[in-house]
Amino acid sequence: MATKSKMIGNRKLKVGGRKSSAFRFPPSAAPRFLAKPTFFKATMAIVQKDLAAEFRSRELLSAMLVFSMLVILIFNFALELDIKVRQSVTAGVLWTTFAFAGTLGLNRSMAVEKDRGCLDGLLLAPVDRSAIFFGKAISNLAFMLIVEAIVLPLYALLYNEVRIFQPAFLGVILLGSIGYIAVGTLLSAMSVQTRTRDVLLPILLFPVAIPVLLASVKASGGLLNNATFAEILTPLNLLIVYDVIFIAVAFMVFDFVVEE
Amino acid sequence: MEITPDTSGYMIAGYIITFLTMCIYVFSIYRRNKNLKQDLETLKSLDTKKTKKK
Amino acid sequence: MQSKPIVLSILDVVSIIVLGVAAYLALVFAPTELVMGDVQRVFYFHVGTAWVGLLGFILAAIAGIAYLTTKDMKWDRFEVAAVEVSTMFFFITIVLGSIWARPVWNTWWTWDPRLTTAAVTELIYIAYFMLRQGIEDPEKRARFGAVYTLLGGLSAPITFMVIRLFRTIHPVVIGSQSAEAQGGFSMTTDMRTAFFFSLFAFTIIFIDLIWHRIRLGRLQDKVEELKLNLSL
Repeated sequence: MATKSKMIGNRKLKVGGRKSSAFRFPPSAAPRFLAKPTFFKATMAIVQKDLAAEFRSRELLSAMLVFSMLVILIFNFALELDIKVRQSVTAGVLWTTFAFAGTLGLNRSMAVEKDRGCLDGLLLAPVDRSAIFFGKAISNLAFMLIVEAIVLPLYALLYNEVRIFQPAFLGVILLGSIGYIAVGTLLSAMSVQTRTRDVLLPILLFPVAIPVLLASVKASGGLLNNATFAEILTPLNLLIVYDVIFIAVAFMVFDFVVEE
Repeated sequence: MEITPDTSGYMIAGYIITFLTMCIYVFSIYRRNKNLKQDLETLKSLDTKKTKKK
Repeated sequence: MQSKPIVLSILDVVSIIVLGVAAYLALVFAPTELVMGDVQRVFYFHVGTAWVGLLGFILAAIAGIAYLTTKDMKWDRFEVAAVEVSTMFFFITIVLGSIWARPVWNTWWTWDPRLTTAAVTELIYIAYFMLRQGIEDPEKRARFGAVYTLLGGLSAPITFMVIRLFRTIHPVVIGSQSAEAQGGFSMTTDMRTAFFFSLFAFTIIFIDLIWHRIRLGRLQDKVEELKLNLSL
């Protein structure tokens, strides 16, 4: 992580003080890229652009983080998170927090593209449209994972909840985030193009994302309560099924969503 | 065998709501249809006026 | 606007007749269930509306795919019609279920898989209409609508499976009965007659209403088109 951010830091110096008003490739990579953009390279270029822009402004991550902490604070008093209650609601509290913070990030990430005309620039670029989807989805996922990577230890610290740090639990968090972001990226691309934009995303996203949220809560809650692997196998399977189906569908229909 | 409870009140309420909802929906289609037809007439008359001017 | 086709007029009359007959069968003809009493008669319309509600949502998802592949506006009109009529029927299903649950389960509502899935599905399709309202361009509206019905159609069954992990008390009348289910019963021949007739009746009414809604959609498109022409 440290080397990666350093690398991006260097890039930031190279690109200079330019505001990200349009899609720009790093100078060194541009000619090669434009000559023959492979799917993977195009995707990665978008991810890089998003991460570089975010590490410069940090507006999205800081908003998501502060918001997450506030949600946890509110839950603390609303649910009286004493040791007994926490036993059963930790997974629920965490997932609610991530879902809300995720909507915030998804909205912002797509609104920036739309407002600054980036989306049109991206669409004009000679790359596969689904590469744009994967690019946006991966950077959105990165933001969400970064937020989770900060919120989880904080939660563990605040509530002395070391059970969080088991690989299986983190795996469930990852699977859940992937599914949530896949649908979220697609729907946010739709909602930014409507009149009611910011208001619409959670309304569109939550009912469709309910399976992924519930399966994640079930699986991660089970893990926290020392359930056997067989017990969490069903929610885990459903989670994987949801991820696969929705990544595939989002990949297929993204074209229709950004088409002009 | 226990005595069959009298739950006819619930049944009547259920069927009233069912028929009421369907009536409201049919009426809403009728109203929208009527309004649209009115709009269509207005637009058509406007259209002919416009073409006459030209 | 072409005048009302004769078949549709006939279908209107048939719909009213079958609705009347279905109501008669459910309210008078079918015997009273002994444990639950008269409230059980709600069941015939409950399943009838639930069936067409589900049918409509499946048809809407198929119409969504058809629209995305053909880009023919007729599929969009069909999709809107199916979603709207189904949302109305599903609302009836939920209300009837709730009314039945009050005396039988002793609660208006419980977070059972079927109930929750029904509620979530209803919310998805309310969101669908909010999405459409926010878009002015008819072509874009159709595209987004199609994508959303597709997502909704895919997520609803997974929602059902996920919530089943929690628990259920909803009776399964056709097929195997869960041990935990409360309020189940076995149907007599007369009950079956009423049951299947109500399924049939609601299918007819469903087709009739969809047809009307499609015609309304056509009219809407025409008005919108004329408005656009005039403003040019």
